Amino acid sequence: MNQIFKAGDKIIPHNGAKALVVEKFLGGGGQGEVYRVKHKGKYMALKWYYPTTVNTAYLKNLERLINKGPPNENFLWPMELVFDPDSDGFGYLMPLRDERYHSIVDLMKRRVEPSFQTLAMVGFNLAHSFLQLHSKGMCYSDISFGNIFLEPDEGNILICDNDNCIFDGEVTAIKGTPRFMAPEVVQGNNPNIQSDLFSLAVLLFYIFYLHHPLEGKREAAIKCFDLPAMKKLYGSEPLFIFDPVDHSNRPVPGLHNNALIYWNLYPHFFKEAFIRSFTAGIKDPLHGRVRETEWRSIMLKLFDSMIYCPACGSENCFDPASKAETNLRADCWSCHKQIPLPPALKINQHLIMLNYDTKIYPHQVKGETVFDFSSPYALINRHPRNPDRWGLKNTSKEKWVSISPQGIIKDVEPGKSISLAGGTRIIFGKTEGVIEIIDDLNQKDLN
Amino acid sequence: MTDKKRPGGELASRPLHFIWIADCSGSMGVDGKIQSLNNAIREAIPEMQATAQDNPNAQVLMRAIRFSSGAQWHISQPTPIEDFKWEDLSADGVTDMGKAFALLAEQLTIPPMEERALPPVLVLVSDGQPSDDYGSGLKQIEELPWGKKAVRLSIAIGEDADHEVLKKFMGRYAEEVGPLQANNPSDLKNYVRWVSTEVIKTASSPPSSELEEGASGKTVNVPIPLPPAKSEELEAEDDVW
Repeated sequence: MNQIFKAGDKIIPHNGAKALVVEKFLGGGGQGEVYRVKHKGKYMALKWYYPTTVNTAYLKNLERLINKGPPNENFLWPMELVFDPDSDGFGYLMPLRDERYHSIVDLMKRRVEPSFQTLAMVGFNLAHSFLQLHSKGMCYSDISFGNIFLEPDEGNILICDNDNCIFDGEVTAIKGTPRFMAPEVVQGNNPNIQSDLFSLAVLLFYIFYLHHPLEGKREAAIKCFDLPAMKKLYGSEPLFIFDPVDHSNRPVPGLHNNALIYWNLYPHFFKEAFIRSFTAGIKDPLHGRVRETEWRSIMLKLFDSMIYCPACGSENCFDPASKAETNLRADCWSCHKQIPLPPALKINQHLIMLNYDTKIYPHQVKGETVFDFSSPYALINRHPRNPDRWGLKNTSKEKWVSISPQGIIKDVEPGKSISLAGGTRIIFGKTEGVIEIIDDLNQKDLN
Repeated sequence: MTDKKRPGGELASRPLHFIWIADCSGSMGVDGKIQSLNNAIREAIPEMQATAQDNPNAQVLMRAIRFSSGAQWHISQPTPIEDFKWEDLSADGVTDMGKAFALLAEQLTIPPMEERALPPVLVLVSDGQPSDDYGSGLKQIEELPWGKKAVRLSIAIGEDADHEVLKKFMGRYAEEVGPLQANNPSDLKNYVRWVSTEVIKTASSPPSSELEEGASGKTVNVPIPLPPAKSEELEAEDDVW
């Protein structure tokens, strides 16, 4: 296909602003092409539309999005319209995507291999960002593999292709992407905030289970996976592969292995969210779906449940709900050895597993109003002279107070640490936590 | 530490068979047609490979049949597009299209075809009229479940191609796009690129507008995107057919 611009082309906008210089073709899609351009000394991305793909209403919506501004910094949001007086064409400028970010397809094809904790952060960032968008009354309409990018070390995300965002209740030409569209959208409804929630749940399921939530026996029975088959599977007859009541669409060994491998690796609360998303969430689009605030808490809870296998180093989830069933210890998914549990910090019935590298952030202690991952509130460290002694270091700016099981009260000033002795209560301002030794056999070893 | 931080494998995908059915009769040797076809397919491969990298739902497997006096598998093994290497076709003999259809029908039977797959994409490229009985071979294809479900497209090279035959091969798809008429190397390149990237994309993940219930009055099971427009301004050296 012939590209609209070549490297070195100059676009002189109609408002007489300085020319943009085209540096590189980045990609093309159904609506237009994206280029890296130099503009006012900075590198930016320019999306340029094919002449027939967009109309005046579309342009008006773009102007509105630019005026509204990005919901948060994770959105590569349209910043400025550019009109070319020579061709009557137009496009818009947006920030460039950093090369450290990978597509979700890379995750699906195992070309990037983030840790479980990183994925929990990806899930948190997705839920948090879409909450910001929805809070502005807008819906995205096309949450799918192609529009989301992740950075595999810290779990940061970027959301692209935001020019299709509309206000909830409006009608758009973009209906979504097959496999991600909510059943009611497949059946003809327009996308809205509620259908975004369904697509978000599908994307999260893909990220954590490397599989589609509706592809079980019914998908296996389809020989030719074409349009009529997709309409049935994702639209008129959707059934969750782990539906607790109707077992008729379970994953098929050999075809749907990832779903079978991953389902039981995650804690009950995590699985429950997906069960709700794809049972009540299918039956009742308006009230049955898991909200972004819920996903946010679920992702942080998953993050806090991670422990390391001391034998092979693999991450595993500790599931407090299965304590009684499994006699505390779980088998490592990788080496199948039993994993001794590290101590935990319990705050308001929530357990934060304390691994050798655990960092605790303000929201975990103070409640979930502000999320700041820039500097930890506390972290785990070793005693400088006795490496067998582990402590919780106060990296906050405020003094803590500790109360030992024997009732001895001590101040823990910023920079100081308190030993991880079972039953020790720590007062963090208005919140209180207690060190819990869940597994008596493992009082010392955090590795 | 283990090699992988998490268990399991890649996202499960389905095979998508893409088969070229190429006319290699003597007339294809005239005016550089066969060379242009070889070149167009070679040009399309890197883009197909890049497209496959971004497609988590399909494993694209490519092969090719050639027909002239008789028909043979030119590339017999369904080859993952990542490893696919084009071998140049050469032209001589007559146009035994029916024999090519019979060869194709053998391979669309289950087995060797998998029971579960994405719709196969079959592309017939021809510049002339069949010299054998193509009807019985075509009937064999149409009677097979995978033959019925396949996306069947055709590219006519030059003015002498038999559009009626190409339309019959396309079946219901003829109503959607009709045979693609390539009158110069540039059109041929664009059409080859289009069938091997855009059509594969839509066969593995149809556009959302088509997924909506009742949105499509079409009779085909894979909605076909709009083919590229014919080049309007021909460069002199292109206008040789």
